[in-house]
This record gives sequence, C-alpha cells and structure tokens, in this order.
Amino acid sequence: MGSRGGIRRERAAGSIVSQRTQARLKRIAVYVTALLVSVFVTVPVYVMVAIAIQAPSDVFAGGQVHLLPDGVTLRNFVVLVTETSSVRYFTNSLIVTASSTLLSTALAVAAGYGLTRFDFRGKTLAARAVLFSYMFSPIVLAIPLYVIFFTLGFLNSYFALTLALTAISAPFCIWLMWQYFQTVPIALEESAWVRGASRWRTVRDVVLPVARPGYISAAIFAFAVAWNDFTMARVVMSRDEMYTITVGASLFLDRVSIGWGETMAVSLLIAIPPFCIALFLQQYLLQGFSVGGLE
Amino acid sequence: MSTVRGVDLPFGRFDERRLVLLLCFLPLGVFFAVVWLVPVLYALGMSLFDEPTGGAQFVGPGNYIDLLTAGEFGYFLWNSVLYAGSTTALSLLVGLSLALVVNQRIRGGNVLRTMMIFPYLLPTLVVIFMWRFLLDPNVGFVNQLLENWGLIAEPIAFFSTTGLAMAAVVVTSVWKFGSFAFFILLARLQAIDPDLYERARVEGASTWQAFRDITLPNLRGAILIILLVRGIWMFNKFDIIYLATGGGPLSATTTLPIWVYELAFDSIDFGGATALAGIMFFLLAATAIVYFHAFQPEREVAT
Repeated sequence: MGSRGGIRRERAAGSIVSQRTQARLKRIAVYVTALLVSVFVTVPVYVMVAIAIQAPSDVFAGGQVHLLPDGVTLRNFVVLVTETSSVRYFTNSLIVTASSTLLSTALAVAAGYGLTRFDFRGKTLAARAVLFSYMFSPIVLAIPLYVIFFTLGFLNSYFALTLALTAISAPFCIWLMWQYFQTVPIALEESAWVRGASRWRTVRDVVLPVARPGYISAAIFAFAVAWNDFTMARVVMSRDEMYTITVGASLFLDRVSIGWGETMAVSLLIAIPPFCIALFLQQYLLQGFSVGGLE
Repeated sequence: MSTVRGVDLPFGRFDERRLVLLLCFLPLGVFFAVVWLVPVLYALGMSLFDEPTGGAQFVGPGNYIDLLTAGEFGYFLWNSVLYAGSTTALSLLVGLSLALVVNQRIRGGNVLRTMMIFPYLLPTLVVIFMWRFLLDPNVGFVNQLLENWGLIAEPIAFFSTTGLAMAAVVVTSVWKFGSFAFFILLARLQAIDPDLYERARVEGASTWQAFRDITLPNLRGAILIILLVRGIWMFNKFDIIYLATGGGPLSATTTLPIWVYELAFDSIDFGGATALAGIMFFLLAATAIVYFHAFQPEREVAT
C-alpha cells in the first residue's frame, strides 16, 4: 500500500483497477489472511504451553498473566502425577484406544476387501448404511448402549468402551478401506492365483502390502476418534479408576487443589499423540480428507 | 466392475473362497448387529415405554407427545439449528479464505497446512480448556486485552453470560472444526487447471471475475457437501458444548444432544431420552434421504 496506485489507471477490461494493482492488493489480502488465521490458530496452543511449563505463582504474579516464560519447570507435571490419578487415566485411555484402533482397522480391512472382491446385491444399501452410521450422533447411540451394557453388567469395563468407541470409528474406516481397495487392481491378485498361490497367501503377501497406506489412514482415524472421545467414556465409565484421561481431566477444574497450571499440563500431555500425527503422518491424514472427510 | 472375476476363475478352491467370504463379512455383520442395529431398535422400542428401566409401562407415542408439546422443545431445537448453522457457515468462511491463501503457493504455505491439522486432531477437552482459559473473566487473555485497549470496563465471563455463551461456544467450535472445510476445499482448488486462470488473466479478467467464474463453480459441489455434512455433524455435537457450558447458563446453549444427556442422566428419564434420540434419528434419516438423493455418495464405492 502507500503507493499512488489508485490514481494511475491502466484500464484493464472488466475492471477500473490495473492488473498490477490488483495483483498487489491480492498479495496483501493473502498475507493478511494468512497472518490472522495463524494468530487465531497458534495463540491458544501457545498459551497452553506457556502456562503448562511455568509455576502458577510465576504465571499469575501481579494481576496480569505472564505469557513469556522466564524458565521452565516440571512442577505442574509433578503435581499431576503425585496428587491426581492421571497416570491411571492415561493407562485406561491407552488400553481402550489401542484395542479399538486395532478392532476398527481390522474390521475395515476385512470389509473393504470383501466388499470390493465379491459381488452381491444391495451394495448401494450397504454403502448408504455405512454413511448413515457415520453421520450418527454418538450421544444418540450412547444412550441405548448404556442401557444394554447396564443390563448385561458391562459398565466400567474396557470391553464395553472398546466396543462403543469402535462403533463410532468403524463406519468411516470401512468407507475409507472400501474406497482404497477399489484402487488396488484385482489383476495383482489374479496373477498370484495363476502362479498357484492360495487365496490366503495372496491376501497376506499381495493385498495387505499394497493396501498399507489405506489402513494406516484408517488406523490414524480410529486412533484420533478414540483418543478424542469424551462422550462414550463419560457414559460407559462411572467409576473413578476406570476413567479415561479426557473424562478424568474434565473434572479437574472443579477441584480446589487443581488450578490452571495442572490443567494446561495435562492438556499438553493429551496433545502429544495428535501433535506427532500432525508432524509425521500428515500425508495419511490428508488422504482421509480426500475421500470425503473425517468427522 | 472389480468384482465378478473371482467367481469364474478356475482356482478350484471353492471352500477357501467361502472361508475368505466368511472372514470378511461375519465379523462385520456381528459387529454392526451388536453395536448399531440392536441398540437403535432397542432404543426405539424403549421410547414407547414409561420408565423402561424400572416398572416399564407401555405408553405408545406418549413420550414423543410429551417432548414435542414441552415448551422447551422449540427453544432447544432452535439452539441446535442456530449452533449448527453458525458454526458451519463460519467454518466454511474460515476454511475457504485460508484454502484460497494456501493455494496461492505462498511462502510458508506448507507450515500453515500442518498448523491447520493440529486443532482438528486436538481432543475436544483440550480445546475447551484453552478457550475457557482465554475467555476466563479473572485470568483470561482476551479480557485482559480488551481491558487494556479500553474496550470494556468490566471483565466478561463469556461462557456464563446468557447472551454471549452461544457465541463463545461457536467461536470455540469453529476453531476446532474449521480445518475440515479447509482441507476439502484446498484439495478441490488444487485440482483446478491453472491454464484457466492464465487465459483469464491474458484476456484481462479481474481477480474477482476469475474467482467468480472459475473458482466458485469448481467449488460448488464441495461447498454444498460441507454445508450438509458439517451441518449434520454440528447439529449432533454433544461433547464440545457439554464441556464448555454444560448447556447453561439457564439452558442458553442447550441443544437437542445436550437435552438427551440431561434427560437420561440428570432426570433418569430413559423413556424421554430414548424418545428424543428417536426424534433425532428421524431428523437425521430425513436429511440423509435428501443427501443420498441429491449427491448419491454411494456411487463412489458401489458402482
């Protein structure tokens, strides 16, 4: 800006502003938008980290919140470990996340292979059922699951939560693998059969290696759903020692002994796995978006 | 197209083929029956009873009538629509503008893209902690800024002020879910042939004209999908609202999913809760029918 570009008029068709000025304005708009969105996205994350690594007495000294740390301390993390059951909560989260990721991915690989390799009526119906369950509200599913698990005595078990989490992650994983297996040409398998390989060996040695990028995406998605989950864990787990980290930590702010320092410290710990995925596995994630988006 | 071949191939191991068939579909069938079909049918059945967990009494559509005639229903439905509508529209706006920016291949575009993945993967609880802190009346960064700039005299408790709670929840939700629109639109933008823009430029079209006549028509389908699918998901959102405000203050942010939870676990009224879940089920089914007919998404797999 600042130039007298508005006065100069190299009139281009369709506009009173010259193309050069337009290009300049566009560049400015582009960088301003980029800057605004970056600030909007990064400030909350930065604040979380800054609060987590400082002692609360330093952060809240003198009425204003200090967001430029003078030093790093593990004090908040120590309080988490010694005064809360965070370790237990994290263990629970890891157990149910791992088992539901495994279950969901396995189901999706089997379903995707079967749905693309065998012909049957009602494929349209199957596709619509998968998409419909994908759009479903977890809380609407959680209510009957709660009553069923209650009746069967399954509440407060890893098994019940694994099933519930898989219920909400499996539809998209299946959709993803279904699409992925369509891009894997059947000719590969046929040539293996012709050479006398059994169907089983073909699956193991030909199909699964080729489908690897697909099921890594599916696994990442299933992992994110389970790790993120609050709704299902809140409904299925009612005993403190069975809480996942999201449910356990959600009650932290109600306690007098726990302040913002510990809350942000636990947030930082919860954020580590997603952060690693964003950094190292993002191409698999983007693949998920390209087949119709992740919830 | 890809399928029938397996049958007429002479690999002579019909039993093995059946075994693979069984391995593919049996777990899937059992799983869907156990976690989807049975619960949904069970809930629809339960919604016809009074106190289905205790001395169940058949009341037919009684629960549904009670809900639909309750004064809150309209208000909570309106909250849901307001929340879903504004978060979807704002996410689209943020996603579209940033997708256009990153598509310009500016320096740091890849960093921006990685950055956008992060809010999306961050667990809802963490997002809520951040925003509850930022918007906190005592220690919050936002209140501090606004006070320092002299825009407000008193700190504002955004999440617990009736007129502002919904807006605060909407901002928080857009922060988390905006990247959905961004990634889908960016993929679509990158698929547009760059020659089109070059030709438009040579012919003297303005930037706005190029956007209106090339970019927008190419994005139309993606935008409609985002509006519909994101809209459905936001309408069904429970955790982010529950963690931010719990539906309060004074049910200013109570949407239908929050109401389902309250009916079931605060009022222990499973008849009402399942009936409301049933109403939401039928709303979703109606929307899904529109979606399936307008877009035929199943064509992507079942051709």
